[in-house]
Amino acid sequence: MSDTPAQADAEETPILEIDHLSISFFTRLREIPAVMDFSVKVMPGEAVGLVGESGCGKSTVALGVMQDLGVNGEIVGGSIRFRGRDLSEMSEAELRDIRGSKIAMIYQEPMASLNPAMKIGRQLMEVPMIHEKVSKSEARARALEVVADVKLPDPERILDAYPHQLSGGQQQRIVIAMALMANPALLILDEPTTALDVTVEAAVIELVRDLGKKYGTSMLFISHNLGLVLETCDRLCVMYSGEAVETGRIEDVFDRMRHPYTQALFRSIPLPGADKNQKPLVAIPGNFPLPHERPPGCNFGPRCDYFEAGRCDAQAIPMFGLDQGDRHETRCLRHDEIDWTRLAIDGVETARTEPGDVVLKVDELQKHYEVAASALLRGGETKVVKANESLSFDARESETLAIVGESGCGKSTFAKVLMGLETATSGAISLRNTPIQNTAIEDRDTATVADVQMVFQNPFDTLNPSMTVGRQIMRALEIFGIGDSDAARRERMLALLDLVKLPREFADRMPRQLSGGQKQRVGIARAFAGDARVVVADEPVSALDVSVQAAVADLLMEIQREQKTTLLFISHDLGIVRYLADRVLVMYLGHVVEIGTTEQVFAPPYHPYTEALLSAVPIADTRVKKKHIVLEGEIPSAMNPPPGCPFQTRCRWKSEVPGNKCETELPPMVTISGGHQVKCHLDRAHLDAMEPVITLAEPSAEPAE
Amino acid sequence: MEPLSWTGAFAPLVPVLWTALAAVAILALLRWIAGFFLSEGDTQTQSDGTLAVTRGPLEMLDLATWWALLAALAVVAIFVAGGAALAEGAGILGAMSRRLLPVWIALASTFALSLTFKRRLGLYGKLFDSTIGMIGFALVMFWVFAAFMGAFGLIVTHDPLGQSGAMKNELPGMPYTRMLGEVAEGSYPYYLLGGDNLGRDVFSRMIAGSWVVVQIAPMATAFAFMVGITLGLPAAYKGGRLDELLSFLANLILAFPVILLFYLLVTPEIVETGIPAYMAAVMFLFPIAFIAILLNSRYRTRPALNTPLLIAVIGGLGWVYLSLISERFGPLDILPQALDLFDIPGGILVVFVSVVFVNSPTVFRIVRGLAFDIKTRDYVAAAQTRGEGSWYIMLWEILPNARGPLIVDFCLRVGYTTILLGTLGFFGLGLPPESPDWGSTINDGRKLLAIYPHPAIVPALSLLSLVLGLNLLADGLREESLRD
Repeated sequence: MSDTPAQADAEETPILEIDHLSISFFTRLREIPAVMDFSVKVMPGEAVGLVGESGCGKSTVALGVMQDLGVNGEIVGGSIRFRGRDLSEMSEAELRDIRGSKIAMIYQEPMASLNPAMKIGRQLMEVPMIHEKVSKSEARARALEVVADVKLPDPERILDAYPHQLSGGQQQRIVIAMALMANPALLILDEPTTALDVTVEAAVIELVRDLGKKYGTSMLFISHNLGLVLETCDRLCVMYSGEAVETGRIEDVFDRMRHPYTQALFRSIPLPGADKNQKPLVAIPGNFPLPHERPPGCNFGPRCDYFEAGRCDAQAIPMFGLDQGDRHETRCLRHDEIDWTRLAIDGVETARTEPGDVVLKVDELQKHYEVAASALLRGGETKVVKANESLSFDARESETLAIVGESGCGKSTFAKVLMGLETATSGAISLRNTPIQNTAIEDRDTATVADVQMVFQNPFDTLNPSMTVGRQIMRALEIFGIGDSDAARRERMLALLDLVKLPREFADRMPRQLSGGQKQRVGIARAFAGDARVVVADEPVSALDVSVQAAVADLLMEIQREQKTTLLFISHDLGIVRYLADRVLVMYLGHVVEIGTTEQVFAPPYHPYTEALLSAVPIADTRVKKKHIVLEGEIPSAMNPPPGCPFQTRCRWKSEVPGNKCETELPPMVTISGGHQVKCHLDRAHLDAMEPVITLAEPSAEPAE
Repeated sequence: MEPLSWTGAFAPLVPVLWTALAAVAILALLRWIAGFFLSEGDTQTQSDGTLAVTRGPLEMLDLATWWALLAALAVVAIFVAGGAALAEGAGILGAMSRRLLPVWIALASTFALSLTFKRRLGLYGKLFDSTIGMIGFALVMFWVFAAFMGAFGLIVTHDPLGQSGAMKNELPGMPYTRMLGEVAEGSYPYYLLGGDNLGRDVFSRMIAGSWVVVQIAPMATAFAFMVGITLGLPAAYKGGRLDELLSFLANLILAFPVILLFYLLVTPEIVETGIPAYMAAVMFLFPIAFIAILLNSRYRTRPALNTPLLIAVIGGLGWVYLSLISERFGPLDILPQALDLFDIPGGILVVFVSVVFVNSPTVFRIVRGLAFDIKTRDYVAAAQTRGEGSWYIMLWEILPNARGPLIVDFCLRVGYTTILLGTLGFFGLGLPPESPDWGSTINDGRKLLAIYPHPAIVPALSLLSLVLGLNLLADGLREESLRD
């Protein structure tokens, strides 16, 4: 975060000036306003964040800037000026010239932006060859330079590669390189890191920030993640339901927010200090309004704690400038009446539940897959994918154990073995002292099947789209042998809907009529249909919007408290893990590298990998000071893991271990203190000397102007 | 009696129709050329949220084309409606329109009902949002209604097999005489679309031919689908060796020349060996297996309901199956005559078997591809983790979610089957020689095509319009099902 080029640049022409922009989409039935009365200014060298939940219109703004709204979209009011020129008055040829050379856009899915049939080098060289008509050799030289700039190793080799030969993080770097090839004045990034792992995300974000400084590019950074925006942007614009509700400098909006939606958003994300028992998250009540069902007056009115009937719903609300801060504006009528220092109103404290007996015990679990080395010839050489190498832990009744790790670390494989979809290669899993590691699901008895259930990640995929919600829950009841008649099962199904706080009418609805959060609740009801003792929740909230995440996470906690379920919470989001887990298990390449209570894992001493993970997670709190650790290189393939310690290829502490122990010997599990174990060769002195990655500075009463 | 002219009292309208059609063609060409020089009008948003387009020369041309097209359609509508009112007074077209009156009424009421309730009718209702889909549906339903009503003797004017020495190769609209100079009292006075080389009524044979198609094509396609689904789902879901084996078999069948296969199947020597009958015996097992597995996987947790249901369904379908395959003195003479519900003529059975045999590998491939994608969804994993059986997952979790593409493919495939039936008829394979089906009729008419084209053109156009209708219907369904 750099200081804003504030007042001094006030007279300078902004790179991008969006003024009272309104965009609508026209369908056969009606006009759907997607963006209304939206204004934002991006000065040279400035990075502006655009934050909001899905459907709030932030991507539509970006498409509007690119003048790429499709046949149904139309700018119905306001203007978009690029360096003082109105984009809507430019001809198609002028626009084509600007796109890609003056304004570049980076999309969420890197693979979708790259041509899979063309070598990276040619795709990069095309940009200056088309826009600046430079020679082939000059373009190649430029491509090499930019590839080196985005910190990819061995640029020559990369230029000769096809996109599919690179990893997701490398692909996204190439997309960024391609955007930079033309040396654009404005870079639009639409959720550029959502498809990437946390440590890769951290590296890409750092790259974007550094390049922005080096090339002096202005940026419009679109994201739903407040933490990322804090790390990359100077200014911020919060959007809700097609409108900007608050804009201002990062510090002003984060620390002295003046719109109830911004406030509610911050209360619903797990920041350091939130706690599931003492300081629970506050979900925003109600649902996001559909674009054609927006309320009169303030769009946020029906969900706002400070709503005043007759005033907030009387007329359209304009943006109000605020005295404090630099160009800090809010779309709230009551911004000077509300006591902004007051704490959340309905945070309910709950008693901490004590974990009971050990329910699930995993001992030295190993799962290897054999894959044929060549697809053509069967039976020849086979390669072994070592998905789980040695997994040992136990989980107690009414305990939440978080399993943390990036993609490819083996968490999903473990879930499969536990559920019985795969059987273990060696080792043991015992569920209440019954070994189940070698019993496939079809051989398990109904009680065991009902006892271990799963909540899935993608809400849009978790329910069968062609069966009513009620039928799907009742089918689970039928299978688990609960209830002896259809009527009894229907009664139980309705009770389950009550349990997950869904109205009973939803029983007869089809899944497509439900929102993402509601679908996830049905998924939870289905998992708890047979009174499950162990529930594996595989990233249950990561695909949901921020304001819904809190509600679903709290629902899981509440059911767990009532039913004393053991929850295995698989996640890569360390914020939510710290908020709701009792114990945390960190996995890397099929190994448990660290395990302990949440406090132990989040405080030093760390396993070097945990340390890097913690540093990578963006936190939306200006008080947080993070130590900066960026992991180099890629996660090694599970088919060909490095010898010795699995993390040795990326570890920054490797030099502290004498000899080549890291490269030859698998480290033992070292117990640090009561239940806190780390798999590392580092000696105690080094471990004890580790500094905390995240420190909370005292909130400054008067932020620097 | 005077022969009927084509349009009778509406003759003055014919030049109007040609003028309108010529105008459409010329205006469309002009619009296309002008598009290179002129730019389109600006769109503007009005305060009520609607879009307004300023009228430039291009928009005027568009409008003129549209009006010319409407004028042409209006003349056609007058021919149909006026013809139904005036009957022979409006010439051949009028008389045909009057004969088809029940079809018009049925079509109009189907459309009126469907359009009224289209928001409550799911995918079927959405079809009525797409013009292409509606045109296709209208063409298909025209032939379906005509076939059924023709089968009940409503539309046909003469016996499709009845010959007349006087009517050989007579042109459309000729008055009917049984023998030269002999006027047949009480029978319909004209051969509306003329007579063929044996003096049979082409119009009646066209209607009767549609009945053959409507009877066989959808049923045979449905059987092909059941075979394809019952094999395609496990191939995709289980994968491995089973998949390799089944895919290889499918490729083997697809690699075999279809026409040669048909010739082989209907050769008397092959029929005598009983191969087609045995093939039928195997293929017709699939629907029973399909339905039984479908029900069992769904209700296996409730034995009190499941057992009687399965006994009833398997018993009932089994009886139909045995009646179907068992043939007196045929290779499979299993069922006692007293219990045999019906006999299918051997030729029809062969046609049926051939069509199912060549269509099911393609269906197999489509189902396999769809199931490969759907089996990775979380709801399939959810079903696995609650211990559902494989068949439940395949038939109740995967299959319903593949229905969109399968319905579209079904429509297209009924079209292919119709063409296939035409081909079989044209080569005289399977169906009896005097059969009025379109393929046989085209083959009959082919011999004198240069002199008397009408006996071949009528069934050819019928075949074309039905298949076109099915393809348009499939397009409309695809477009609308993608829109959700």
